[in-house]
Amino acid sequence: MLSIRRFEERVLELFSRGELFGTTHTSIGQEAGAVAVIDHLKHGDFIVSGHRCHGHYLAWTVDYAGLFGELMGRAGGVVGGRGGSQHLHAEGFYTNGVLGNMVPVAAGMAMAEKRRGEGAIGVLFLGDGAMGEGTVYETLNMLSLWQLPLLVVVENNCYAQTTPLDLHFAGSFSGRAKAFGVDTGEIESNDVRELHSHFESIVKKVRGTSAPHMEIVHTYRLCAHSKGDDFRPAEEIETWRRRDPLRIEAARLDEESRNEIERQVEEIIHEAEQRARARPPAGARTNRVMEAVR
Amino acid sequence: MPKMNMVQALNLAFHQEMEKDETVVVMGEDVGVNGGVFRVTDGLYNAFGKERVMDTPLAESGIVGTAIGMAIGGLKPVAEMQFSGFAYIGFPQIENNAARMRNRSRGQFTVPMVLRMPYGGGVRALEHHSESKETYWAHTAGIKTVIPSGPRNARALLVAAIRDPDPVIFYEPKHSYRAFKEEVPEAEEVMELGKAQVTHEGTDLTVVTWGSMYHQTRRVVEEYMEQTGVSVELIDLLTIAPMDYKTITASVRKTGRCVVVQEAQRTLGPASEIIALINDHALMYLEAPVKRVSMFDVTMPYFSREQMFMPTPKQIRRAMSETLDF
Ligand SMILES: Cc1ncc(C[n+]2csc(CCOP(=O)(O)OP(=O)(O)O)c2C)c(N)n1
Ligand SMILES: [Mg+2]
Repeated sequence: MLSIRRFEERVLELFSRGELFGTTHTSIGQEAGAVAVIDHLKHGDFIVSGHRCHGHYLAWTVDYAGLFGELMGRAGGVVGGRGGSQHLHAEGFYTNGVLGNMVPVAAGMAMAEKRRGEGAIGVLFLGDGAMGEGTVYETLNMLSLWQLPLLVVVENNCYAQTTPLDLHFAGSFSGRAKAFGVDTGEIESNDVRELHSHFESIVKKVRGTSAPHMEIVHTYRLCAHSKGDDFRPAEEIETWRRRDPLRIEAARLDEESRNEIERQVEEIIHEAEQRARARPPAGARTNRVMEAVR
Repeated sequence: MPKMNMVQALNLAFHQEMEKDETVVVMGEDVGVNGGVFRVTDGLYNAFGKERVMDTPLAESGIVGTAIGMAIGGLKPVAEMQFSGFAYIGFPQIENNAARMRNRSRGQFTVPMVLRMPYGGGVRALEHHSESKETYWAHTAGIKTVIPSGPRNARALLVAAIRDPDPVIFYEPKHSYRAFKEEVPEAEEVMELGKAQVTHEGTDLTVVTWGSMYHQTRRVVEEYMEQTGVSVELIDLLTIAPMDYKTITASVRKTGRCVVVQEAQRTLGPASEIIALINDHALMYLEAPVKRVSMFDVTMPYFSREQMFMPTPKQIRRAMSETLDF
């Protein structure tokens, strides 16, 4: 959790210094869910995520240098520095920034796993906003109809970009799953240990029964939607800051171990950044060819 | 006249048109309370209220479809897709309903809606945040595809698009949103859709372009004329479909030479159609083959490489020289 946080803080810093460009979405404040769910997955399982995917990616791969490189557009990036923040593809990991687009694809991948019969499952992460897309409901229907081993984790952070839940969402999350006969539950927590034990049985069930499940995690992002575009009430952010997953976990550790963990994480992040920086810009060879033909 | 950037000019068009016509309704993701991610709809929510400036769920197919229904029912919806790359989710609605309603109903129903979306590269974003796929829309009969190039024509064309009785795809060059300002008259200004504009008259070479490529091309053309004394006629296409072949071919008949500059990918981009139209209407006047400068046939790459793939001043200049020297 801490290394995801420090990684993303560094990313935002690099953006504000003008060293990174384009779009990025950090998961600052929402890291607990990612870590808790993904810790239960095994080699062979797969994850499908969206625009806010750094936490999921890092929890799955611990490939800090690869993600730095990707954001910097360098060789050695997750996809050679060509995809950027929200187009990460690695073994068992798929993202696409077009909301809702990968939902049926995740179902298809779950179908393939079911046919393969090796007990692998998939996890699909969705935001509350993405729940507005029609593909979600086409897919819930198919998931249920074909009993596919996909765990849908809805990270409800109460906003779709700037639009609050009550302006974009009708009915209830679990009601939507139930309507399709998909098992569902919800939890409001930023406590990684609580979430971890909560998801243990859910992952086990999806794996054991090869049936879909949709679980809603009510949480909050403590960062801007992207960078600097925050229009939410300050008191609301403050309330959630007191429930920062890092704070909750830190309270359980003594000062010495906290400092030790901080030190280790700092080293990991620093070293990863240096490794990413040491690589050349993406596609240097193609660039030379392009330069010549133009 | 006040000086405005394109965002401000579009915003002015909205304020004036919504004031004037109560049936105009704005809708889209984050367009209301927030004022839109690019701030084009800033202030409209406060001025006209939530019935006329609607924040929608994240549902492009639903947004486009609802807008179509509202248009059939007598409203004039102007819907926003946050980036052109998200409009594909609304594609079946555009293609199956918006584009076909007039024809299918034998003129009983029309769909007076506008679908606005920022397009194009040069802002160092990601693939579907940066592409130029006007061909998708231009290829579909029954809709008009409009691409302004500057604040003043953006404002005047948006007003025309809102008033048009048929669906209009309004493709906004996001690279030009805040890149420069122009004088935009406070008084109403409307431009006719389907008309290209000759922005520089000339006799030796015709250059056709549109959107954010217009400015890059204009700079190259001006510099070239100054350095070589060649007289170039520059055309800002403004509407991609229906295409104003008369203005283009009249120019080519005069100059005998033509270069088309597009940000879109090469294969079946608008340049292909322009060349075909020149073939139909001005072939015997040509002194040289028509050249095109375009993106390559690849997915728009990430920021670190996009400059490698977008048309550059050097390429434009070379295409002009080669055409003139042929
Ligand atoms: C199809 C599509 N429409 C619009 C966007 C632009 N966009 C990116 S993130 C976002 C909000 C997403 O909200 P949510 O699903 O709740 O995820 P969160 O950002 O809160 O993590 C929007 C509108 C997009 N990426 N894809
Ligand atoms: Mg959200």
